[in-house]
Amino acid sequence: MNSNQKKRNFQIEAFKHKVVVDPKYAEKTWKILEHAIHEIYNHNASGLSFEELYRNAYNMVLHKFGEKLYSGLVSTMTFHLQEMAKTIEAAQGGSFLEELNRKWTDHNKALQMIRDILMYMDRTFIPSTHKTPVHELGLNLWRDNVIHSSKIQMRLLNTLLELILRERTGEVINRGLMRNIIKMLMDLGPSVYQEDFEKPFLEVSADFYRAESQEFIECCDCGDYLKKAERRLNEEIERVSQYLDTKSESKITNVVEKEMIASHMLRLVHMENSGLVNMLIDDKYDDLGRMYSLFRRVPEGLPTIRDVMTTHLRETGKQLVTDPEKLKDPVEFVQSLLNEKDKYDKVINKAFSNDKTFQNALNSSFEYFINLNPRSPEFISLFVDEKLRKGLKGVSEEDVETILDKVMMLFRYLQEKDVFEKYYKQHLAKRLLSGKTVSDDAERSLIVKLKTECGYQFTSKLEGMFTDMKTSQDTMQGFYSNYGPELGDGPTLVVQVLTTGSWPTQPSVTCNLPAEMSALCEKFRSYYLGTHTGRRLSWQTNMGTADLKATFGKGQKHELNVSTYQMCVLMLFNNADRLRYKEIEQATEIPSSDLRRCLQSLALVKGKNVLRKEPMSKDIAEDDTFVVNDKFSSKFYKVKIGTVVAQKESEPEKQETRQRVEEDRKPQIEAAIVRIMKSRRVLDHNNIIAEVTKQLQSRFLANPGEIKKRIESLIEREFLERDSADRKMYRYLA
Amino acid sequence: MESDSGKLKMKKEDMVKLISAEGFEFVIDKKAAMVSQTIRNMLTSPGSFAETEHGEVTFPEISTTILEKICQYFYWSLQYASFYIEVILVHIYIGHCSAHSGKETEFHIEPELTLELMMAANYLHT
Repeated sequence: MNSNQKKRNFQIEAFKHKVVVDPKYAEKTWKILEHAIHEIYNHNASGLSFEELYRNAYNMVLHKFGEKLYSGLVSTMTFHLQEMAKTIEAAQGGSFLEELNRKWTDHNKALQMIRDILMYMDRTFIPSTHKTPVHELGLNLWRDNVIHSSKIQMRLLNTLLELILRERTGEVINRGLMRNIIKMLMDLGPSVYQEDFEKPFLEVSADFYRAESQEFIECCDCGDYLKKAERRLNEEIERVSQYLDTKSESKITNVVEKEMIASHMLRLVHMENSGLVNMLIDDKYDDLGRMYSLFRRVPEGLPTIRDVMTTHLRETGKQLVTDPEKLKDPVEFVQSLLNEKDKYDKVINKAFSNDKTFQNALNSSFEYFINLNPRSPEFISLFVDEKLRKGLKGVSEEDVETILDKVMMLFRYLQEKDVFEKYYKQHLAKRLLSGKTVSDDAERSLIVKLKTECGYQFTSKLEGMFTDMKTSQDTMQGFYSNYGPELGDGPTLVVQVLTTGSWPTQPSVTCNLPAEMSALCEKFRSYYLGTHTGRRLSWQTNMGTADLKATFGKGQKHELNVSTYQMCVLMLFNNADRLRYKEIEQATEIPSSDLRRCLQSLALVKGKNVLRKEPMSKDIAEDDTFVVNDKFSSKFYKVKIGTVVAQKESEPEKQETRQRVEEDRKPQIEAAIVRIMKSRRVLDHNNIIAEVTKQLQSRFLANPGEIKKRIESLIEREFLERDSADRKMYRYLA
Repeated sequence: MESDSGKLKMKKEDMVKLISAEGFEFVIDKKAAMVSQTIRNMLTSPGSFAETEHGEVTFPEISTTILEKICQYFYWSLQYASFYIEVILVHIYIGHCSAHSGKETEFHIEPELTLELMMAANYLHT
């Protein structure tokens, strides 16, 4: 190959630099470069040839004079920087920063040029000798000779802090200049920025905000203070974005948060007349939202708000459920609970960004105070009753759903769900039997909700009631199609056959029905027992109603809607003009408390007094006499005579219901104990109580004392035994 | 190459004149010249060096032959991926870069120029 032969002809000196013999070569070359650096710093570079300078530096490095070149550069640059520092120091007042900035720009430009011409050194000499590259060297020299010069360092810092203070107090400063200077500090490395500016800046800021917050808190109300704090915070964030290092943002906001919020947190929250509680009371969503977003920034901030809210909520809730005024009207009572819930839902939604922990706090507070009043289950059921009787007339389906959902929400808070069930059953029975329910759909919808909430078991009896209503209708149709023709014009009987157990029936004395009615009833009984063998029918006369057509003395005719008891009483007057209390009692055999109540509503209610009592008085006495009120008049043809029923349960009734609930709980507790012991075989007392409580939680809160009694009863009946060694352990006996 | 400058009528700012040791002038696109890191610095350095102002650079240590080769390389490099530079360097070392002359994308270097060319490349940081 040709190339191999030609190679021999190559000469090493192909590149045409002179072989260095001149001992002054290095000195001479350096002089040229040194001169060039001077010219560059003096803004005189336009005459210089880049190529020549580059070539000289190149050759110096190539001929092993790199060290000389480098140290020469250091000393020349140092010299110029010291000169610059002197000029900067000499600058008066406000021009100081400007001068510094100008010199910095100059130096940067010069440095760029010097680096370009010394590029070959940067590329080869510096990496191999581990020296600082030219650009970094230039920055370091600037830092050491200018920024850290004794006359500049403090002055610079003070000037910067002074300007920031002036800006904080509302003056307009030259932000561009600030930005350049801060940028310079950042270019010199993070440590310079931090040590020479950021650290003192944060300290001074802390002092500033400490003093300012102290002043604000003395003279502002909570809302105003928060507004000011928020504004300060935003100002600092904006300042960082305008001319500080972005990394400083979290640090300075921390300072503001700590000084303005964290240190005054409790005082703010509890501030008289304007603190958190007042904001909650007055629905100040903006202020609350501000408080939330500010407090969220500091540790313990949100828990503080939450705790105060919870305490306040429990306090007001407690007042609400124990307010004797409210207790008079269950509907009002429940409505105000709902209002309270709505109010706080809104606060949490609008101001606390739907924070889950706040919602939980709200729920637990409600759970706490609703259960403070043992009558809450009854009242909630009464509320539903009221709504389903009349409250929902003309309300759209969606609204019905909303109301029912709200009720369910309250229901969820109840610990004694079984008590609710008891009352609900009673109220539902009344609604169904009197045909008063507004909407079957709404009834069923609520039952479905209860079912999803508490399971099939909870609602099976309620559903049984609906089924009974339906079958009774069919039975009645069957009865009339069989007997219709032979019954003729007599009274019409509607019977609802209720399954014992599903309905809250009380064993009651059947009263004496008027002759025409009892005959009809007998017919029905034989019809029903004819189709359903092996059943027993007993009449619940205390639960029925009747429509009567009555003609009074002056010929005025009315249709009276009365209870079965009232019907029995009134029918007596078909055959007598005046009757004594005793006579009525004997003829009807209505229990005396019921009879009194029924006579009260017939004779003493204004506008509905179809009977007249002698002597006139407010109460029914044993020797009263009753006559038909001939002067009775009403603008309506139909007159509904309600029994004077206590809407709310009276004290003894309440006791009774409570007792029945307690009775019902016993088998449930026992069943739970047996279930648990069957799977565990051996368990100690405390664990049994814990597990039983847990199992029954969805229905009621089991009382440990009661559980203990049940355990004892189970031991007596030999379901369990105590461990012979450890008396606290129980053993399941299969 | 010199004659090209007249025909192409490029804008003066987009061109740069490179002058060899013997005084030969090569007028080429700045874009091409900037393949050399050194020339790039010369033309873009913030200070107004003579080179930046006049749009010409003199290389007293580079001969015409080499400078011409260099200019060719600039254009070649601009056109083909930098990947090939390595290939070339390998070829220069082995000394038989014409072996693959079949490939059109290859940059042909006469063996007798290699050493000088390498030194110039070092200087120009190409």
